Amino acid sequence: MNGSEGVGRRSFLRRAVAAGVGGAAAGAVGLRVAESAAEPERTAADQSPAVPFHGTHQAGILTPPQRHAAFTAFDVTARDRGELAELLGVLTERLRFLTAGGSPLPAGVGEPPSDSGMLGPVVPADRLTGTVAVGASLFDDRYGLAALRPRRLRTMDVFPDDAPEDAWCHGDLLLQLCAENPDTVLHALRDIARHTRGLMQVRWRIDGFVSPPRPGGSPRNLLGFKDGTGNPDTADSGLMDRLLWVGRGAGEPDWATGGSYQVVRLIRMLVEFWDRVSVNEQERMIGRARDTGAPLDGSAEFDPPRYTQDPKGDVIPLDSHMRLANPRTPADAASRLLRRGYNYDRGLLPNGDLDVGLVFCCFQQDLDRQFATVQKRLAGEPMTDYIKPYGGGYFFALPGVRGPADRLGGALLA
Amino acid sequence: MRPASRTSRRVLLPVAITAALAAAAAAALLPYSSAAPSAAAAADGLPHTVVEVSPGACGHGWDRPHAGRQVFDLRNTSSDAAEVYLTDASSGALLGEVEGLAPGVQRPLQVVLGRGSYVFRCLPEDADAVTGPTVRITAGPATGGPAVLPVTEHDLIPPTLEYQKWVGQGLGRLVGKADALRDAVDRGDLAAARTAWLDAHLAYSRLGAAYGAFGDLGDAVDGLADGRPGGVKDQDFTGFHRIEYGLWHHEAADRLRAPARRLADDVRKLRDRWADARMEPADLGVRAHEITEDTVTFELTGHSDYGSGSSLATARAQLDGTAEVLDRLRPLLEPRDPELPGIDRWLARTRDDLDALRHDGTWPAPGDLQVEQRERVDADFGGLVERLAGVAAVCDVRRTS
Repeated sequence: MNGSEGVGRRSFLRRAVAAGVGGAAAGAVGLRVAESAAEPERTAADQSPAVPFHGTHQAGILTPPQRHAAFTAFDVTARDRGELAELLGVLTERLRFLTAGGSPLPAGVGEPPSDSGMLGPVVPADRLTGTVAVGASLFDDRYGLAALRPRRLRTMDVFPDDAPEDAWCHGDLLLQLCAENPDTVLHALRDIARHTRGLMQVRWRIDGFVSPPRPGGSPRNLLGFKDGTGNPDTADSGLMDRLLWVGRGAGEPDWATGGSYQVVRLIRMLVEFWDRVSVNEQERMIGRARDTGAPLDGSAEFDPPRYTQDPKGDVIPLDSHMRLANPRTPADAASRLLRRGYNYDRGLLPNGDLDVGLVFCCFQQDLDRQFATVQKRLAGEPMTDYIKPYGGGYFFALPGVRGPADRLGGALLA
Repeated sequence: MRPASRTSRRVLLPVAITAALAAAAAAALLPYSSAAPSAAAAADGLPHTVVEVSPGACGHGWDRPHAGRQVFDLRNTSSDAAEVYLTDASSGALLGEVEGLAPGVQRPLQVVLGRGSYVFRCLPEDADAVTGPTVRITAGPATGGPAVLPVTEHDLIPPTLEYQKWVGQGLGRLVGKADALRDAVDRGDLAAARTAWLDAHLAYSRLGAAYGAFGDLGDAVDGLADGRPGGVKDQDFTGFHRIEYGLWHHEAADRLRAPARRLADDVRKLRDRWADARMEPADLGVRAHEITEDTVTFELTGHSDYGSGSSLATARAQLDGTAEVLDRLRPLLEPRDPELPGIDRWLARTRDDLDALRHDGTWPAPGDLQVEQRERVDADFGGLVERLAGVAAVCDVRRTS
């Protein structure tokens, strides 16, 4: 969760602006290829442009996090490979339209309306992204895909501090929907479920939000600490090629080129307990100051921690989350990963405490070299008393849809 | 049992007329000629054409026909509410409709048009239909958006009568089954009563199509405890589910005698009343869709299970009920609903999957299914119900004159 280090938030913000400008131009193109030629009427809340759907990689990975998300795991009920192809085709078509926005085609008099209408007559793009990933179970004997399974993809490991609940784990397919407004996310989920109802069924779903910077820098998680400070720089395409994307010749099946391993972990935070702990103890567990997000040996959020000058952990404890997650030795550089988590709030626990936490989400080139390695380093960290991982899964985010003739999983099913 | 079905559209018309009267005075003040080149202002970015709806000028204003996606802003310049249909002049197929267009009101109709001839038809309340000028589109794509041959009340009368007869026969058989349940309860033979209950309830569920038409008696026969202040213990809770609750919660036979007698009586009344009733033809298409909606809402969730665990058996019987309605509608659907083969395929798939879950003549409760089994059943019904939704829309009654 909180933790690994690297290039800071400032470059991230510059990228967000650049992506905004690029996105606007691409958005106009998107509207032409989508269902509508319409330029949507926009209100202040809807001014976010479209994020391009087509590309070498799927959107929603490097895309600067939108404010709201729904993570929905499905089990595929398609009977055969033909129906699986149909499912991925429908998913592609719906996401192509929904992410571009526009005016839904009229259904005529022989069908109910083609759109739920919950976003009005013209669907805003609202920076919606839909990222589709597949789980290991899709590569069982149902669709003849066993030989094509990404070699690291498996049922999510159970780590020593985990308490997995079956109803919240795994799935054949994961759909990560993100947008600036929660109604846009829900509209997209509703539309996709409607069009795919017979071919897949929801296994679990969790909604999340990213808090606005308070007062600045990285957004805070529900423990009150800034989270994501140490993410690698997504604008560095060479770095992304080394850390995120599966490339050719790495021992992965050819179809997987351009994809990325996605790990989702539903982590409950025992915030009532956390709130009964002194801020000093909290900060020593995290390794950062709560107010500023600065490492305990620094004064600003993006100051790099100097572990070499603190070999015994007098200032930043050796078992602090940040230090365990990324010890910043050259040997550990290859285990860095891109976190893209969301806070969640789903009501109450049986004891009346709040059921809140983190939808931890990360992307990486190699599940074992990155996530699993980091997770093993974190085993037994002091913070485990305050968090409880109970759900999620290992998935592989499919390569991008390259153009109007391509579709999700096109190379997988070719 | 369930909430009354969808309101027939005609029930809504008196409301429209009231609104129409209220709007009539204001209508006179509206500048009809304000048909500004609205395309520029249109939020949807589509070309708009203002078209008049009135007995004297139906369809007027469509002066520059063109193919493609577009919006007609239909403006009722008369003093009566009207329906408006846009039809393909050669096939008679309907491309779009606006119902209950009040005087002085303008409403959009979005369509996609290909090459061909089109007419607007204006159908004022309580007056004859008026056909507008035929408009030809000679350039552009050959085909436009979906168009469906309208179904009239006349078309629906024969299948409705047939269906009504089938339901009547089923109710006749149900009387004997409800009597058998009553007798078993009277004898105090609760094991036999449980068997008789299931037999009778499935026989009723197979007729599920008719629930709206059964009215209060339907509620007495198969109502849930929802909305009853005392819940399952409520004095007025009666019918199949009341008896089910007792039979599967160790209630003594004497406490079930009154409900079992009442059920037998109500079923008899229902049979007799049905014989004299006339089923609304407009309801048949809605039935084809909504039986399965009921299955999804009440049976697949286990909501209607008061202890017997027979939700999947009920779902299976309701599937038979849907097939009966569809068979009656088939001659009308074949030329109209391109989804019909898909409906048949999903109906068969759902039936086969349910049957595969039956062991020794009984089904597990939905809550006892393994995740994969449950997802498959939910997917089957989900795929089916999405396809059935079109049947109700296609069979919506349209006027011819």
